[in-house]
Amino acid sequence: MSLIEVKDLKYRYPGTTELALDGVSFTVEKGEFIGIAGENGAGKSSLSQALLGLIPQFYKGAYGGSVTVCGMDARNTPVSELCRHVGLVFQNPFNQLSGAKDTVYDEVGYGLQNLGFPPEEIRTRVESVLRCFGIWEYRDRNPFDLSGGQLQRVAICSVLAMNPDVLILDEPTSQLDPEGSEEVFHTVDELTKMGITIIMIEQKIEKLAGYCDRVLLMHQGQVVDYDTPRKIFSREDLYDLGVNPPAYTRFARANALVFEDGTLPVTHAETLELVKASGADRAALIASLRGMTAGVQMDKQGDGAADAAPHSGTGSNADMSEAGRQPAGAGEEAVAAEVSTSTGGRSASEGAGAAATFQVQDLRFSYVKGREVLHGLNLALDHRPTAIIGQNGAGKTTLVRVLKGLLKPDSGEIRYQGENLETKTVAELASRVGYVFQNPDDQIFKYKVLEEVMFGPLNIGMSPQEAEASAHEALRMVGLDEKADENPYDLELSDRKMVAIASVLAMNTDVIILDEPTIAQSWNGREKIREIIQTQAAQGKLVIAILHDMDFVANSFARVIAMAHGEILADGAPAEVFRNHPVLEKAALAAPPLYELLEELEAM
Amino acid sequence: MKSISLYTNNGSWLTKLHPFSKIFYLVAAIAVPLISGHLPVFLGVILLSILLLKSAGLVHKAFPLLAFSFTIILTVVIIQGIFNQKNMTVLFSLGPIHFYKEGLLYAAHIGLNILNMLLSFAILVLTTSPSELVEELEKKGFSPKFGYIINSVFQIIPQMTGTMNTISDAQRSRGMETEGSLLTRAKAFLPLISPVVMSALTSTRERAIALEVRGFGGSAKKTYLYSHPYSKADQVLKALSILAVVVTIVLRVVHVL
Repeated sequence: MSLIEVKDLKYRYPGTTELALDGVSFTVEKGEFIGIAGENGAGKSSLSQALLGLIPQFYKGAYGGSVTVCGMDARNTPVSELCRHVGLVFQNPFNQLSGAKDTVYDEVGYGLQNLGFPPEEIRTRVESVLRCFGIWEYRDRNPFDLSGGQLQRVAICSVLAMNPDVLILDEPTSQLDPEGSEEVFHTVDELTKMGITIIMIEQKIEKLAGYCDRVLLMHQGQVVDYDTPRKIFSREDLYDLGVNPPAYTRFARANALVFEDGTLPVTHAETLELVKASGADRAALIASLRGMTAGVQMDKQGDGAADAAPHSGTGSNADMSEAGRQPAGAGEEAVAAEVSTSTGGRSASEGAGAAATFQVQDLRFSYVKGREVLHGLNLALDHRPTAIIGQNGAGKTTLVRVLKGLLKPDSGEIRYQGENLETKTVAELASRVGYVFQNPDDQIFKYKVLEEVMFGPLNIGMSPQEAEASAHEALRMVGLDEKADENPYDLELSDRKMVAIASVLAMNTDVIILDEPTIAQSWNGREKIREIIQTQAAQGKLVIAILHDMDFVANSFARVIAMAHGEILADGAPAEVFRNHPVLEKAALAAPPLYELLEELEAM
Repeated sequence: MKSISLYTNNGSWLTKLHPFSKIFYLVAAIAVPLISGHLPVFLGVILLSILLLKSAGLVHKAFPLLAFSFTIILTVVIIQGIFNQKNMTVLFSLGPIHFYKEGLLYAAHIGLNILNMLLSFAILVLTTSPSELVEELEKKGFSPKFGYIINSVFQIIPQMTGTMNTISDAQRSRGMETEGSLLTRAKAFLPLISPVVMSALTSTRERAIALEVRGFGGSAKKTYLYSHPYSKADQVLKALSILAVVVTIVLRVVHVL
């Protein structure tokens, strides 16, 4: 008998009419690493909760079919019993904390205490798991004081300490920087060697492809397919299911690199192997890769998005495809090249001059006296969409908060279009600089989406008519106009994030700052955000975004600022920054998947 | 995170004592003067508490507590000194206002009682970690659910103020003026409070799940990571506290006090 057996599982949340899970059946063997892919609302999280018995024991609602985990019926076995065998790591680590323990050490030991383990064993397990995840040095810190990335590690540790047979992770790396998420995947992969079964929901498709034995593809509460990553990601209907294939697969498809069995490569190694075996024209491949890494996608949908971006040349999306890096044999990409104007195509420092927006000089900031977070930053922003990347705790959010005026610098000067911002209140600046917070629930308070989006415009003095028109327009941009009359609290997190973005877009500010806009967004959501960034840039607005999603950065931004430890390490076009290995290493970043491939092909 | 607990681990002998010994002291320090009813006993116990705090280097931290109570005590002294029903003997006069001995004595009892309670509580609160206290109580059979509530208050209230600040920032970013006249600030209230309440509600549900998946509701007998054996000092403090209460009661019964 399999370790996990799900038979015809049907489930509907109380108060809803649609099935969240609709006839789901699959089995998992001991020691397997299973990935779950699918768009938002496909039922991935619901399924993970059903495996642990939270559905239906905690959420109630209508339930049919059966879930058997480690020989126990998840419907009837109490969660407190099931949790000895099945561990669940939440998407938001913050909500995973018990809230009763004041140190990381005690927090990780908490579950074991509840299960009645002897103290000596708790100590051994806690120490080994904390050391394994590199947070042993934080053991005496208050978990609430940690950054998101550190917190996620604590959350994983606290579940792992309970030695589950099955570990379910619901987008565990969404808060982590690239190095941190690689670490999580690596550690989790190690666990499978110890016989632990892993089930992971993840939007980082390349990682799923690289680590999973099998992938469960879900759509609208149903299992579409359950097979090896190669079979799954070679499907042609992936986009229709709201899933973006791995970058390698996109590259392979565009260049007709196909295995004998008709599948496409999904990992770096597979792609390289196929390139070598197929004897394809290396120069053409390199050109194609350069095109893809220069910010324009090769695939059909990618073009659609590029076409959607207005072509009025403000020079802002020009840098995305430097003239010399046009892929041969990919005529569509010329579209982006046409956009190039005289201001485009240069490095960051040169392009800044004329259209300066923010000018930052010797900016220093500290939350606690004597512990400086930003060490004398100098920065000149123009109108190119700019991504700020860096490790958790590098000072990215602090920097944009200072720009927005939410934090007052210790010293240094910030000018916006030549004007010193020191004396302005945040509310006064609101009509010029918009800032979308990472967590939409920090701002949503109205009972109608439309009213929520109108709140900002009304505050900055638009008339109710103007505000409403502007709100509808913004909602159309994020694709939520048909939900204008719904209660924002009833929407999915991904949609609530879109509401938050719309509520700032509607204010029609000159600058838009986005803090981690792609978290919790599946492929279509990310495409939407990419479109918004390009549309806004085309209208001459400055878009600044903090991101951990390097692939998205490479595809959507003209300028990348890499930060580490409160300093700017590199500043330039994605192609420059992502090929600057000393900087990537120092900032604990990883280039988007295709860059590495490009470099290896070039070196071949 | 700014803690709302007054406890800081300064490594003094009082922090090393078992929480229960400090509770024994607390009970004795409040009970003894009350049972005896004599002002000098009040003064003596107050002095003892101050000395204990001083030995642990914590007197300065107790002062804000005392300062807070002084306004109350002063009010009691003035009102009782002037208006107490039993007032007979004028002690002194300030212009037309007469202060009476009976009222002032009564006020002194109340005032010293307040001071005494505050100081003996200060000894417990300033030197005991809330979570340690709860853990020791749970070991003695106190309900873990109730223990969790107490513990989580110390974690969740500061965290909620943090959320409140973020929410205020998010709304200010959307042009809501939070500074200025009373009306402006009143208008800013709803956009702040509603996300706070909603996020508290959602995180409560999530937290309930978080506890559930970590075996909180289970039937297993909970174990504890830390043990705090009674030291010699603990034994002595406990014995002296009990002895003091017993002796006071006996003296009271035989009318020596």
